[in-house]
Amino acid sequence: MSRPSAVAACVVLAIMMMIARPMSAGPLRVLDLDGRLVDPLAPAPGVRATVFVFITTDCPIANRYAPEIQHLTSIFASQGVRFWLVYANPHEPPASIRNHLRQFQYAIPALRDPEHALVRFTKATVSPEAAVVDQGGVLLYHGRIDDRWVNIGRDRPSPTRSDLAEALRATLDGTPVAQSATPAVGCILSDFLR
Amino acid sequence: MTRASSTALLLLLSTATAAAPQAPEVTFARDIAPLMYDACASCHREGGPAPFSLITYDQVRRRATQIADVTHRGFMPPWKAEPESGDFVGQRRLSAREIERIQRWVEVGTPEGDPRDLPRRPTWPDGWLLGTPDLIVTLEAPYTLPATSTDVFRIFAIPLPIAATRFVRGIEFHPGNARVVHHANIRVDATPASRQLDAADPSPGYDGLMPRSAGYPEGHFLGWTPGQVAPLVPSDLAWRLEPGSDLVVQLHMQPSGAVEEVKPSIGLFFGHDQPRHTPTILRLGSQSIDIPPGERQYVIKDAYTLPVDVDVLAVQPHAHYRARVIKGIATLPDGSTRWMMHITDWDFRWQHVYREVAPIALPKGTVLSMEYTFDNSAENVRNPQLPPARVSWGQRTQDEMGDLWFQLLARNDRDRATLAGDVNRKMTAEDVIGYETMLRLSPDDTELHDDVALLYLGLGRPADAVRHFAASAAIAPQSAAAHYNLGTALAAASRLDEAAVALRQALEINPGSAAAYANLGAVVLQQGRVGEAVKYLEEAVRLDPANLQGLNTLSSAYAASGRFDRAVAIADAALRLAPSGPLAVEIRSRREAYRRNLKDP
Repeated sequence: MSRPSAVAACVVLAIMMMIARPMSAGPLRVLDLDGRLVDPLAPAPGVRATVFVFITTDCPIANRYAPEIQHLTSIFASQGVRFWLVYANPHEPPASIRNHLRQFQYAIPALRDPEHALVRFTKATVSPEAAVVDQGGVLLYHGRIDDRWVNIGRDRPSPTRSDLAEALRATLDGTPVAQSATPAVGCILSDFLR
Repeated sequence: MTRASSTALLLLLSTATAAAPQAPEVTFARDIAPLMYDACASCHREGGPAPFSLITYDQVRRRATQIADVTHRGFMPPWKAEPESGDFVGQRRLSAREIERIQRWVEVGTPEGDPRDLPRRPTWPDGWLLGTPDLIVTLEAPYTLPATSTDVFRIFAIPLPIAATRFVRGIEFHPGNARVVHHANIRVDATPASRQLDAADPSPGYDGLMPRSAGYPEGHFLGWTPGQVAPLVPSDLAWRLEPGSDLVVQLHMQPSGAVEEVKPSIGLFFGHDQPRHTPTILRLGSQSIDIPPGERQYVIKDAYTLPVDVDVLAVQPHAHYRARVIKGIATLPDGSTRWMMHITDWDFRWQHVYREVAPIALPKGTVLSMEYTFDNSAENVRNPQLPPARVSWGQRTQDEMGDLWFQLLARNDRDRATLAGDVNRKMTAEDVIGYETMLRLSPDDTELHDDVALLYLGLGRPADAVRHFAASAAIAPQSAAAHYNLGTALAAASRLDEAAVALRQALEINPGSAAAYANLGAVVLQQGRVGEAVKYLEEAVRLDPANLQGLNTLSSAYAASGRFDRAVAIADAALRLAPSGPLAVEIRSRREAYRRNLKDP
């Protein structure tokens, strides 16, 4: 092997590391409810994939998904999937978030994303929206939890596709996620930064 | 002008522009706040039925894109009637220009503008909007709504503690938990039927359908959709509420995602005077709905010609999840037409009673017509059955309905009687079709057979009543009541021999039935077998000395056998039991005839 190719290999390695650790940089400012900086993608034993579910306390569609989000967590947590609830409205104080967690019986750790660092990283646009990131920090899926909502005010009696669950199954099977992005319906996140 | 001076002028102009930057073309304070206050804030306010407030600049700009989107798509404000439908109380509608203004505001970056431009912020009273209610009722205990994913429909019977007849000018419904209560159907039940259904379910309320006895008060609609309060009617239009009645409230609830307690309360407002006018409710629609799976354009139509002049006070469309387009049209005798209701994107969730701002006068001979279009394909995202299945008429939400209700006020009592009688015949004829539709699916439901048979008797169609009572008796051959009903209908159809057979069968099963003896006696009397008739009727009266029909017929039977003294004595006994009423009048006149026979043998 000649010298130039070794240099190329080094470059590739550097880029991969950048993708793998996008959260480690301090300025992303993802906070826990006590205001501490958190790296939600930090490697942890047994974690094979990470799911972010973006919500706000007062989005009716997001709230209606609470039992489903909790249900998916209970199914996939034991298979090495780590779930984070991400409260994406910077104007919601930790006290109302704690209250919300209690009221909707969430047993999922919660984050605040006041500067939408995670929102941008996962390309999330609305609440509720889910994103799946593999252990290498690569975004594998972002979009709706399922297709119950076709639009605001137009929902099916029951979903016909469970997009998030399908993405997770593919991820755990090590196969490509068939649809890596789906349109989610809910409260527009960019509005909250106005 | 020289070249140099024109350059100077240009410079001057650009300096002026830079010195006084143009004010934004659309600002919150001047252009957006008035729209929010008028069309949104009555629900989107602290304590209102909507999920978040839209009053302050911060609240509105942090939903700006969303507001632009939902107003552009017509989802908000939730007002399903197209503008041509007319002007209704409490209507919330943004014009195309206003919707465009919101979009423009978002495009230019949601500027606040000058706070001095803000209109006066509206206020809402904390409690009852219509004043202090004369009676407030609520659930004894709250209903606990689980955090399920599907909508929940629950019926509650709420007793009304009144000692005397009241004249109700209006009601105000408070959902108790606006986050989950999406709309309420409200009826009145003067019988214990609803109460018993509620009591049979251990938790508050019950699932299922309202009984037939729960209905609108005569001539009036009741119901609630978020943000709407029907104004009180004038005292002379009030409706009568009798002691012992229950309010029957069906809540359509959308679970919030959390477990929720729901405890609605209802305020009633009474008038002091006897109402002088009673409107008439007309229902157009089809109860023969039968939509094949996949059908995208299933149309039902109905029409009714007004027999008298009327004023239309209100319109209420009703359909379930497969209805898409709703049309109601009045065709006047001169051939001109006007929309009464037009909805191009029907949504079961936003059912509403549309009350006219000013009554619509329609002359006698006007044809009120309706046309609804249903989509039973998979394209209809609201279709409750996937893959689509055949669906027919029925009141459960998985069935389909298509009704257009009108509240009509006739101009005088005579017209009112004409209208009420005519409308009743029209609607009963359709009800009968609904029962036949349900019976095609549940041919062994004896209650359905019995109910429709009674309607047929009311319509003067005893042959059809016989058909259904016979079906009931065949399904439940051990039921004395079934044979009794069949015998009674056969008698009404003048099929006396068969009637006697059925009534004897009823008595074989239940030999203690005074009513069956009374009817058998009447049948046998019509057959001319007077002696036998007297025997049965005496048995009826012996079993139940207060059986008025039995006494009445027995009196006739004695007269037919020439025993006028007995005829008069039995007529007297009957009159002691029922001193007034139409039957008393009839008995009294016959008693006079018997007395004359007694005097002039």
